[in-house]
Amino acid sequence: MTFRQFAFNNVIRNKRLYAAYFLSSLFTVMVFFTFSIFANHPALSGDGMNSTVTKGMNAAAGIIYVFSFFFVLYSMSSFLQSRKKEFGLLMMQGMSMKQIRLMVFLENMLIGFLATLSGILLGVVFAKAILLLAENVLIIERALSFYFPVKAILITFISFIILFFFISLFVTYVLRSKKLIELIKGNKMSKGEPKANLFLTMLAVLLLGAGYAVALIAKGLVVVAAMVPVIIVVCIGTYLLFTQLSVYIIRRLKKNERVFWFKTNMLLFSDLAFRMKDNARTFFMVAMVSTVAFSAIGSLFGFQTVLTSNIKNVNSTTFSYKTSEENEVKNVEFINQTLKEEKIEADSEHTILRYFEVGGDSILIAGQSDFNRFAALIDEDPIDLKDGQVMTVEFEGTNFGQTKELLNETITLKSGTVLKPKEVIHSKALPATDSYFIVSDEDYQKLPEPEFQESYYAWQATDGEERVMAASEKLYKELPRYEITSVDYEIYEIMKGYGPILFVGLFIGIVFFVSAGSFLYFRLYMDLDEDKQKFRSISKMGLTEKELKKVLNRQTMILFFAPILVALIHGAVALTALSNLFYFNLFKESVAVLSVFLAIQVVYFFIVRFFYTKQIKASI
Amino acid sequence: MLKVKQVSKIYEGKIAYRALTDINLTIDEGEFVGIMGPSGSGKTTLLNMIATIDEPTTGEILINERNPHVLKKEALAQFRRRELGFVFQDFNLLHTLTVEENIVLPLTLDGKKVKEMKDKAYEIAEKLGITGIMKKRTYEISGGQAQRAAVARAMIHTPKLLLADEPTGNLDSKSSKDVMEMLESINKTEKTTMMLVTHDAQAASYCNRVIFIRDGKFYSEIHRGDNRQAFFQKIIDTLSLLGGDAHDLSSVRV
Repeated sequence: MTFRQFAFNNVIRNKRLYAAYFLSSLFTVMVFFTFSIFANHPALSGDGMNSTVTKGMNAAAGIIYVFSFFFVLYSMSSFLQSRKKEFGLLMMQGMSMKQIRLMVFLENMLIGFLATLSGILLGVVFAKAILLLAENVLIIERALSFYFPVKAILITFISFIILFFFISLFVTYVLRSKKLIELIKGNKMSKGEPKANLFLTMLAVLLLGAGYAVALIAKGLVVVAAMVPVIIVVCIGTYLLFTQLSVYIIRRLKKNERVFWFKTNMLLFSDLAFRMKDNARTFFMVAMVSTVAFSAIGSLFGFQTVLTSNIKNVNSTTFSYKTSEENEVKNVEFINQTLKEEKIEADSEHTILRYFEVGGDSILIAGQSDFNRFAALIDEDPIDLKDGQVMTVEFEGTNFGQTKELLNETITLKSGTVLKPKEVIHSKALPATDSYFIVSDEDYQKLPEPEFQESYYAWQATDGEERVMAASEKLYKELPRYEITSVDYEIYEIMKGYGPILFVGLFIGIVFFVSAGSFLYFRLYMDLDEDKQKFRSISKMGLTEKELKKVLNRQTMILFFAPILVALIHGAVALTALSNLFYFNLFKESVAVLSVFLAIQVVYFFIVRFFYTKQIKASI
Repeated sequence: MLKVKQVSKIYEGKIAYRALTDINLTIDEGEFVGIMGPSGSGKTTLLNMIATIDEPTTGEILINERNPHVLKKEALAQFRRRELGFVFQDFNLLHTLTVEENIVLPLTLDGKKVKEMKDKAYEIAEKLGITGIMKKRTYEISGGQAQRAAVARAMIHTPKLLLADEPTGNLDSKSSKDVMEMLESINKTEKTTMMLVTHDAQAASYCNRVIFIRDGKFYSEIHRGDNRQAFFQKIIDTLSLLGGDAHDLSSVRV
């Protein structure tokens, strides 16, 4: 048996031990590969897409690659930790540190090579699925058909062989300068219970509190300015939360014998306290990685909602046409003609929008009956104004806050009478980017000369909505872009550009989230042997299955939900800050995104708990 | 107190292995009985079955006229926790807990009041002379102290039957002597019934009676008179009759 054969057999004949590390490497390769299948798809890299999209894809691939590096590194070092005893044994047989490093290097290269190959193989199998998913998220004219991804295979293979080579080199230094006795005794040596520093504990609370407060209070552009400092402060705060505050709380609980000595609590808390040193780092990592995933996906969805709902709010009708130029009659005729051709039945209204100088701005002032006609078109309630009464109309949704300023302005009629706005209503009836006024019909006639005016037509489809897109395409081809607006078509256009960003963001978010799950899995399984031994000895003394399950349940629950809970709170704060930035309420989107993640985590928890409990029970 | 009737144990597997054959054994209330035999004779198998950790293939075991093996899993665990006490060769103390916490563990699982647990723990610690180390962690104490803490844990709920599996196997001779004297005194003062499995003739000499088994079968039985030293000699003689070398009597146990 040569040394190389020894290293080789060590892996091949010890499959179970290496399985977890192998699978997580395989997973990273697969993720990278499926992404590059997508990024290098001929339909995307061809003439259809512009270079910014390609650049974005490459950047995303880079992020995934860097992340893979750290992920594999982490998996590897936690895997080596669990093999301390084996290394101790080998060293006792006279193996030098150099030889152990060589062995680890060879093993790691072997696993890396196998993982790369099988990751690519599995990736090809899943390629169709990812392309189908991409097709649905993206709005692409051509379908993303399956192709044999030669380029993706080459890129993945070369990148990961390089990655594993560097990790193998790097990881051998993880093993440095461990005393033989420490290796052999492994877990039996006490790492000691971590102690909490009261000052740092307070600091954790302070930092998190301050970070949250700033993030929640800031509005508008202040959010952008505050972002980086807040992220740094919350980052440090989270680290201290897990390393100090949690230790502090557990120690307080342990001191309270009423709690600590109650039934199975003793088993649970003592282990928790003991493992907190190891757990804290994992918790921090998981919390941060998940926060990034939550915030990224949440912001992307939020941003999409902001974009589309702005268009919907400004243009409430199916089609609208606004002009101050001459060929008005001809164009309106063309629109009506097109609608007829496409068999779209629509109610339509027409008015002249007049803009007046109010407080240095040109502000739309509309007559009551004009407003009511358009309100009726989209089924809003009509209003009834007395002479001399002025109503301020504000948009629903995005609110840039001019309403307050408008309420301080006055309208002067030709007769010299001064009107003061009092009430505020919300409506989407007329198109305007600012808030505007409505006056009674009588007063409307008495208004001075407007600064400028434009003709406004609106159509609200009542039948044949499914052909709106076809009609829009015709209209957009013929009419000037700034005059015609079709809500559906505008949204379609935005989604087309936004789709790839959304998809890439989703992809990376999911990768981050899944790897956060793997971190937890590693953490849990590192303690498996110790747990097995512990429960074996307790069950001899008499521990019912119910109690065993209870302890395991709580133990896994804390592991799985403590960091995720923190991440959820971080994510919620981040998304609130985002909605403050856009003056747009993203509550629904935030809740939707965060609860989807929570649901996935719950499912993952049940699966892992099932297997973990099964393994522990089998060993008793 | 304890009745073992015609118990046999066969381990199924690729090669079926008969560990015990037709063992009969009766232990009276308050007795201190030792089980001895060479490695692989089935001592630990017998102890495990009495401890309800393992089940006999045929025959039955009665503890206080009750057969614990017919109990359901949950009830069995509670039976072990309330009626039996265990002392192991490797102490089996949880290293994440302090000595005190280890001692009260069986009571906490039963949801007893903190005050009651504390009183009991200190009462027993007093008797076993370990009050000084109650707040220490398991890696801060010596083997002898650890085994005494383990005995305290086994005794805290005043079990009807205390089972000890090589309690001196990991201890030096001085600590062995301390632990055995302690067990003997508990047996005398508390009237706790005890059963001890051991390789160590010195340890066995503290029993009232020693039963020898060999190759899974009952071999012989000797009673202690007034003199422990003479009893020790008798045990040594029986062991040498039992066959095998002196090496067999080493404390290495499989």
